[in-house]
Amino acid sequence: MSQLDILLIVLRVAFGAFVPLCFIAVLVWMERRGAAYFQDRSGPNRANIFGFRAGGLVQNLADAVKLITKEDVVPGHITHKFYFVIAPVIVFLIALVSFAAIPFADVLILDGKEYIMQAIPTDLGILWFLAVAGFAVYGIILAGWSSHNKYGVLGGLRAAAQVISYEIPMGLAVISALIVYGTVNLTEMVQFQGQLLFGFIPMWGVVLQPLGAIIFIVAAFAETNRTPFDLAEGESELVAGFHVEYSSMKFGMFFMGEYVAMFTSSAIIVSLYFGGFQIPWLATDALVNNTRLVSFLLMLLLPVLALLFGAWMSKNNRSHYPRENDPRVREANVYAKIMWGLVIALELLLVIFLISGSGGMAARILTAGLQIVTFLVKVTFMCFVYVWVRWTLPRFRYDQLQKLGWQTLLPLSLLNIFVTSAIVVALS
Amino acid sequence: MFADGLFLGFAVLAVLGAAGLVVFRHPMNGAMSFVVTLISLAGLYALLSAKLIFALQLIVYAGAIMSLIVFIIMFLNIQPSDLPKEETKLVYILGGLAVVLPIGLFLAKIVKSLPLSSTAILGNDFGGVKQVGLLLFKDWLVPFEIVSILLLISLIGAVVLAGKKEAVK
Repeated sequence: MSQLDILLIVLRVAFGAFVPLCFIAVLVWMERRGAAYFQDRSGPNRANIFGFRAGGLVQNLADAVKLITKEDVVPGHITHKFYFVIAPVIVFLIALVSFAAIPFADVLILDGKEYIMQAIPTDLGILWFLAVAGFAVYGIILAGWSSHNKYGVLGGLRAAAQVISYEIPMGLAVISALIVYGTVNLTEMVQFQGQLLFGFIPMWGVVLQPLGAIIFIVAAFAETNRTPFDLAEGESELVAGFHVEYSSMKFGMFFMGEYVAMFTSSAIIVSLYFGGFQIPWLATDALVNNTRLVSFLLMLLLPVLALLFGAWMSKNNRSHYPRENDPRVREANVYAKIMWGLVIALELLLVIFLISGSGGMAARILTAGLQIVTFLVKVTFMCFVYVWVRWTLPRFRYDQLQKLGWQTLLPLSLLNIFVTSAIVVALS
Repeated sequence: MFADGLFLGFAVLAVLGAAGLVVFRHPMNGAMSFVVTLISLAGLYALLSAKLIFALQLIVYAGAIMSLIVFIIMFLNIQPSDLPKEETKLVYILGGLAVVLPIGLFLAKIVKSLPLSSTAILGNDFGGVKQVGLLLFKDWLVPFEIVSILLLISLIGAVVLAGKKEAVK
């Protein structure tokens, strides 16, 4: 193995492990500020370090300190302590590992070698996700069962029954997607979505498989136990469901696991139905062959975006009453300086790409970077959809949930398979 | 050798899990140790570069079937007082060992008498999703379809049997 190989292995694994972890902070922040936005209030924005609030992100730090320093109680009535302790670990780890087979950029060709941009470069793709995601239910069952508490067991039962029954429409929706793409490999699927339909519509999964996309998204919401399907922790009935007996970081693991699962399932939805890392109308080859133009456009675009963002920030990040030496204005000024520093650094970097020209190693790296940014932007938006739905729709009743799964989604997904395969056979 | 180490690890875990399934008293412990066996079997398949079987083992056995069994164990809410007293357990285990031991020794002898030959990894993405699919739908289509009809029959049978009870009431 050359040094480049080792470097790329480290980079890919680090991306697969740390990006979901970083997104926990972003998603918790997004959830709180999103909820506040939907309910017409400000949300947590006061926690600060030396006056720097980072738009409320510092609140997460305070939360983490709170969770870590809390007393870690294992109630005396729990007999199976091993399962009780291992359950949150299972939930968290499974959510993290299922991200491993999702591509975040197109196959990177450096020095004539191909590097599949996934944390685990396997071609199992969606099968890996289905295989690993199936284990999450163990964490929930073990947590509910070992808590030895009525609410815990009921919450565990609900969550497990829900996850098991929604796995079926999810799997069937995946099958109809597989018929269209003709592969289980997620990288190939996303490459397929880089084509154009009738020459001008990006061939995204959601265009080719609208029904499948809806079924998959609904099932993914149920799989992650998010509202409107979060009956497992229906506060009014079950207190907190399967994690009612958990405290401190053991609860923290469930909490983090939920957000990692949300990130992972957003990533899989984006990869299957929203073009993954593909920038619409700009496939990998187009980007690689036109590096000069792309980097020139980026050099123009970056300052404009920074200017707009700076104007928005200085307009909003100020006290709502007259104040001498407004600390918030000072804060915004520091952010603006940091942002412009970043913009200048990026511009310098882009100058290098502008000089180096297209087709070479630099062009490939720039393309991969752009695709990673595109992927993360899409995933962030999908995560916002999760937050959006959570604060818009009320919770389902349990029988409604099972009815929706078995009597609506299951026949629809079967119908979708027949229609899709008929069309694919007719067209080929 | 890394692969040899992995093989040893998975093999030991598989055997230990299977032993745990027999020895543990509480059904949840038994079920979880069986999950360990199934996962290590999946690892062994992966070492044999049977990617599809690896994924199917995890999805179907370790993921779906065992989670249903664990779900049912949770549903029954078994208390320690509900478990049967197993006083003669040791006798049964020893007796079972005495019966199985000659067979095991016989098998070990057969394996030892196999001629030593070097093995190489088959090319052409052997064991991949596409290759297994092509094989199943080209060379083994009729047996494959018969097996799926068998599964369908048992599915319908389960539905009919589940429905019958209600009719009696």
